[in-house]
Amino acid sequence: MEKMSRVTTALSSSALTGHTMHCHLDAPANAISVCRDAAQVVVAGRSIFKIYAIEEEQFVEKLNLRVGRKPSLNLSCADVVWHQMDENLLATAATNGVVVTWNLGRPSRNKQDQLFTEHKRTVNKVCFHPSEAHVLLSGSQDGFMKCFDLRRKDSVSTFSGQSESVRDVQFSIRDYFTFASTFENGNVQLWDIRRPDRCERMFTAHNGPVFCCDWHPEDRGWLATGGRDKMVKVWDMTTQRAKEVHCVQTIASVARVKWRPECRHHLATCSMMVDHNIYVWDVRRPFVPAAMFEEHRDVTTGIAWRHPHDPSFLLSGSKDSTLCQHLFRDASQPVERANPEGLCYGLFGDLAFAAKESLVAAESGRKPYAGDRRHPIFFKRKLDPAEPFAGLASSALSVFEMEPGSGSMSWFVDTAERYALAGRPLAELCDHNSKVARELGRNQVAQTWTMLRIIYCSPGLVPTTNLNHSVGKGSSCGLPLMNSFNLKDMAQGLGSETRLDRSKGDTRSDTVLLDSSATLITNEDNEETEGSDVPADYLLGDAEGEDDELYLLDPDHAHTEEPEYVLPQEAFPLRHEIVDTPPGPENLQDKADSPHVSGSEADVASLAPMDSSFSLVSVSHALYDSRLPPDFFSALVCDMLRFYAEQGDVQMAVSVLIVLGERVRKDIDEQTQEHWYASYIDLLQRFCLWNVSNQVVKLSTSRAISCLNQASTTLHVNCSHCKRPMSSRGWVCDRCHRCASMCAVCHHVVKGLFVWCQGCSHGGHLQHIMKWLEGSSHCPAGCGHLCEYS
Amino acid sequence: MVSVINTVDTSHEDMIHDAQMDYYGTRLATCSSDRSVKIFDVRNGGQILIADLRGHEGPVWQVAWAHPMYGNILASCSYDRKVIIWKEENGTWEKTHEHTGHDSSVNSVCWAPHDYGLILACGSSDGAISLLTYTGEGQWDVKKINNAHTIGCNAVSWAPAVVPGSLIDQPSGQKPNYIKKFASGGCDNLIKLWKEEEDGQWKEEQKLEAHSDWVRDVAWAPSIGLPTSTIASCSQDGRVFVWTCDDASSNTWSPKLLHKFNDVVWHVSWSITANILAVSESQQNEQ
Repeated sequence: MEKMSRVTTALSSSALTGHTMHCHLDAPANAISVCRDAAQVVVAGRSIFKIYAIEEEQFVEKLNLRVGRKPSLNLSCADVVWHQMDENLLATAATNGVVVTWNLGRPSRNKQDQLFTEHKRTVNKVCFHPSEAHVLLSGSQDGFMKCFDLRRKDSVSTFSGQSESVRDVQFSIRDYFTFASTFENGNVQLWDIRRPDRCERMFTAHNGPVFCCDWHPEDRGWLATGGRDKMVKVWDMTTQRAKEVHCVQTIASVARVKWRPECRHHLATCSMMVDHNIYVWDVRRPFVPAAMFEEHRDVTTGIAWRHPHDPSFLLSGSKDSTLCQHLFRDASQPVERANPEGLCYGLFGDLAFAAKESLVAAESGRKPYAGDRRHPIFFKRKLDPAEPFAGLASSALSVFEMEPGSGSMSWFVDTAERYALAGRPLAELCDHNSKVARELGRNQVAQTWTMLRIIYCSPGLVPTTNLNHSVGKGSSCGLPLMNSFNLKDMAQGLGSETRLDRSKGDTRSDTVLLDSSATLITNEDNEETEGSDVPADYLLGDAEGEDDELYLLDPDHAHTEEPEYVLPQEAFPLRHEIVDTPPGPENLQDKADSPHVSGSEADVASLAPMDSSFSLVSVSHALYDSRLPPDFFSALVCDMLRFYAEQGDVQMAVSVLIVLGERVRKDIDEQTQEHWYASYIDLLQRFCLWNVSNQVVKLSTSRAISCLNQASTTLHVNCSHCKRPMSSRGWVCDRCHRCASMCAVCHHVVKGLFVWCQGCSHGGHLQHIMKWLEGSSHCPAGCGHLCEYS
Repeated sequence: MVSVINTVDTSHEDMIHDAQMDYYGTRLATCSSDRSVKIFDVRNGGQILIADLRGHEGPVWQVAWAHPMYGNILASCSYDRKVIIWKEENGTWEKTHEHTGHDSSVNSVCWAPHDYGLILACGSSDGAISLLTYTGEGQWDVKKINNAHTIGCNAVSWAPAVVPGSLIDQPSGQKPNYIKKFASGGCDNLIKLWKEEEDGQWKEEQKLEAHSDWVRDVAWAPSIGLPTSTIASCSQDGRVFVWTCDDASSNTWSPKLLHKFNDVVWHVSWSITANILAVSESQQNEQ
């Protein structure tokens, strides 16, 4: 009785320490059980029965209980259990139906104590009463459970499950007299130990065998059961009918289940087939294991938590002949590896994003937030126009504007639908497209169209004035240079296009050159900004020269200016492409105040040298090349197109390509063009803009693209005699070897247009058939078919 | 900064791991730890559950839509080591193929550009990448790259279809000779680029090294405009890199650190015009 006084299982003052470790056994293990001191473990199997001491760094074999020369079947253990109150008391279940108890206190080498040979078949499970020193329960393949009093030679009572083999028996921790048993046929029974005649309760827990069960150490009404149906179910046994509280779906059949100490919702499972891993599940999170131990190379047969109050040490035995101690902190945690977020760019620039609803983990840090139902959330985002290309800078990445309801790709659709690409003179096309772009608030693009118009449409008008003007310019060679300086200055100070205009208005040193093209834009669209200033500038320019001369000069000025003007555009076009709404004045003001100005300034600054160098080059050309054919700009226009394409606006690239046609095509290599076309067509098709896409395909000059329209058109022709599909040749039927294209009316072979009814395959000359149909709707061949022609 | 325009109640019972929109942006497929894949019609801001696909026996990590020219096809990959290809026939979604060639969790699936035919790349925790090619009549041909990444492969992403050399001489109707390439990221902290050799074997073409922890996602930018190649990658180490290769002949890639986050970055996703990159990080910051 002295031992009884030490029954408390509180964790000793010094907490357990140890490592993840394993040791090799001589033979595969079938079961393990831990001594209540948490320092020893017994391993039992068909040909092994040993006690190991669990030391800090390793397992040390302490005792081999298999003694005697010839191995007895009694020693072939299916299960082993160590008494949780008596350090010296063990029981094993043998495959031949014998239940053996062992007393480690015996002085002799053979520790065998009692032998009960009452079961007829393999005993699957033995279980000591949790608080009674002498009560042992066994469950056998023969369908019976027996209760033994270790002070007697035979069983006290026998319980008949009335069903199939017993797979597990477990004494309840809550009720002194109650135990649960699980059966091969999927049933779970609850027994009162005093009433062997019939069970207290029975219910079907699983499909197929229930291999194991375990009472919850704290929530004592809870029973976990594991079955071949790959499920672990947690039952509340306190209610009238057993109620399923949780259900965990594992990957393989569940051979053992053990609640994790101190963690209310955790349990460990292992499988007897296929899967070698040990999983720890949070029952509230039934799909992903909370932890996973992957040490074993063969099926894990026994698992046991080392100490009933320590959640971090798990011991396991396996068919791979190893004994392992697993540390929870070394476990792999599939939950951690699992991707908590889904992210996808939608077509219209919207973003589908799935994330945890709450990323704050529950109190323990390991337990996931209970019942976390998670929803994907849609974000529609709009890019800050001040954001530099691709948001390569970190700061820009984190800035968005709230713009509910406006999809950032709507400009694409609108533009695609409204652009005119052919069928009108170039100037009109440019104007139209410019207008479209402006209406959509894409001023940069609008400007580009306007510029293209200037470049390509005017030279024919003023072939002679070119000379005239360049002479004039040659005389004032400071002018273009100054111009380029101006631009640079501006570029540095500029945050936006409107400010460009404003500063133009302010800069008195400005020249005609600048204004001449600037007015083209500002006159038309920028009333809301400094529109009034600009005409003033124009006037200023006017004052410098004669009226009509300036008028003639205008386009030419634009020429010389083109390089300078186009290039600054390149410095910050994305802003304009992405903006969905027209940048109102306040809008721009905001941007000017925002920290992003610095970003765009830097951007501009870095590009400024390029501006100036280009402008200088162009200036020299302007000075010495008196004639400026549009060809001169084509390289530049190509650069611009490439630039647009690179910004992701293939739409612009392709549209310009189509509109300008021969003018630029030769300067861009075929492959690039093709690639643009292909990209644009693909985009159009994604947006279901079939008409536009078809138009683009038609207008494309690239062979690979234009053949797209023929690619998927198949014509199925049937022979008019035998009604079989004609495979190889279109004219002669393979089967009946007759010419298929006979006119049903005049019975001559049809050359040229041949119409036929798709229903009966009969047809003939267009005129004949039309004539025939006026009089009758039946087939002229007399087949009785009501022909339909569309 | 961003506004929620729509919340979809997926009624998934556990964490959602991936959400993908189809080619036309009309349908959204989600997959979850609860072993199911769900498809929603999200046209006009609506959210109608079209299909609830059950068949996986473990958490489903990723889904991928095939190009619509092959019909409505969705691939999903799961912890249960399986890749399932689902197909819509007459309005009902059904499993058309199940690939069980991996020894561990399959983490990523990605369809090749439609120009190549129906090819699916799958990256798995067993370190291998398998390529399933549809050969017609319900048959799939499997090629496996073993030991692509030690410890495991987390992400695969195809390069857009770009034709080497000129197309001009191609007789029309004949399939151009594409060079198939894809990128993969794995637990060895590497991004690897793979290229199909002329004999149909896949060969490691390039190893990109910059991350100091597991690479979580790679995304090859859609090639719009100039054919410069760009790849975005993100990692457990919180860093997001954008790799560019300007000179295709030398095949040298240079990384540019986009940003360093404080926590794991799970996803990178390009917008269709390749000028916006979305990044998702575990602190629920949506960038």
